[in-house]
Amino acid sequence: MIKFFVWVFFLGVLVISPFMGAVNLDVASIFDADSLTSTIFFDLRVPRVLFAFFAGSVLALSGLLFQTLFRNALMTPYTLGVSSGAVLGAGIAIKLGLGTLFFGIGAVSLFGFLGAVFTVFLLIYLSQFLRSAQHESLLLLGIALSLFYSATLMIVFYLGSAMQNDMLIRFTMGSLSVIGWRDPILLGFIALMVFGSVYAYRFELQLLSVSEDQATLKGVNAPRVTLGLLIASSLGIGVLVSVSGPIGFVGLIVPHVVAKIYPTTLSGRILKTALFGGFFLVLCDTVSRALQTQSELPIGIVTALIGGPFFIYLIITKAHK
Amino acid sequence: MQNVSLEVQNHLTILGANGSGKSTLAKAICGLVPYEGEIKLNARNVEELSLKEKAKTISYIPAKLEIYDNFIRVEEFVLLGRFPYKKSFFDYSKEDKNIVEETLEFLKISHLKERSVSSLSSGEQQLTLIAQALAQRSRIIIFDEPTANLDPSNSKTIAQRIKGLKERCQIVLITHDLHLACYVDSPILFIKEKTGRYYEREFFEDATLHELYGVEFSSLAVKYD
Repeated sequence: MIKFFVWVFFLGVLVISPFMGAVNLDVASIFDADSLTSTIFFDLRVPRVLFAFFAGSVLALSGLLFQTLFRNALMTPYTLGVSSGAVLGAGIAIKLGLGTLFFGIGAVSLFGFLGAVFTVFLLIYLSQFLRSAQHESLLLLGIALSLFYSATLMIVFYLGSAMQNDMLIRFTMGSLSVIGWRDPILLGFIALMVFGSVYAYRFELQLLSVSEDQATLKGVNAPRVTLGLLIASSLGIGVLVSVSGPIGFVGLIVPHVVAKIYPTTLSGRILKTALFGGFFLVLCDTVSRALQTQSELPIGIVTALIGGPFFIYLIITKAHK
Repeated sequence: MQNVSLEVQNHLTILGANGSGKSTLAKAICGLVPYEGEIKLNARNVEELSLKEKAKTISYIPAKLEIYDNFIRVEEFVLLGRFPYKKSFFDYSKEDKNIVEETLEFLKISHLKERSVSSLSSGEQQLTLIAQALAQRSRIIIFDEPTANLDPSNSKTIAQRIKGLKERCQIVLITHDLHLACYVDSPILFIKEKTGRYYEREFFEDATLHELYGVEFSSLAVKYD
């Protein structure tokens, strides 16, 4: 029954969400095509809600995927430094003053994307030097990478002009502001791709969540499946972060909460995790817009404010076991 | 471990000190660790077999179950043994599920099927692992120290099940548990200082055991019957 209300609540938020924001919309004139209200609603608010939904899905699914493949609840693209890589890439593009490169793709997006994907390949390369069971060390590698990226970003700050630094700080806070339909549609396809690949390999993932050896013994080509799924989700994260900046902790919180509500085996939780992730980020975004501060609170800050304490809670309860 | 050459036609029990390479040998047979030389299953080089073909021929039961998924239930876990027979991307078939039911009944653990695997005792987990290997319908089953984490009473249950499987499958048993080795009553391979010595029967001479483990033995009492 509680489960039912959770989903109804989320659906309600999804419907209300486009009406929240700095400008109060007059419902009557939304469908008047020439009005400003209509433009705000259909070109800013609705795309934004969709973008938030797909972003949440990609983040939550990637979190679930990383946690399953590495058999550790603390493994997510964010905690492993993938997002930091994207921020550094974007920072370098901003510092170099690169504008639009080609096909209308901004240099900031492209560099952010490359930073994320580079980090994943670096992690996969470095993990070969770890013994297969030592996934804790992989987490430490991710943290070391994040720290190194932060230091490098400090150099970019140090060398940057005030205007560049302002842009960069905005980017690092994470934002779901999108204009028009290009980004939501692109991210929609990406979310579908990530979901499709995780769902198609749900039985392999199920076996990998027992152990890599056991999966191999049942006929799963563990290295190939692992690599393929990591690349698919990293492409998704790369595209997402290049547009929105880093949005932390969704991948950590959502799979955990879904598992609490639905204590079923992995394959039963994939779709629910994707939906819950989407609704969760829409909720966070709605809250940030409803707060009516001077300007809206960046989404990365909202999720981090929720996620930080949750992260600590996870570590403590894990230590108890 | 070096210079090993053995041909196994039937059941085999492998005894040896810690670090003598028993588990490594088993893992090499399964292709989990790199090795030099040649390993053949049914006269075919294992490297020529696809992973799924290999899974249909041989299964490996670890001493302890390590599992990240806290929610997977016994019947779902045993169903994973049917993976090599499953069509890629499709769900497990009705037949797969029937085989799981049969296997659970055969091992007398049908009452556990709704329980989550992580909530089971070590003995029940070992039985679940055996069920999974049986559902896999491989001719060879390798047990890697099946009683290492079990109390004597659970050890007895497992010992009886393993012995009962000798009619169905070829059992390769790796163990430190001399009672178990004695009870299962297969030919014995002693591994010492990385080389093997083979005993057909009558292996439990105290002198042999002394040579193997460097500990004085007085004749063992076996009470699994």
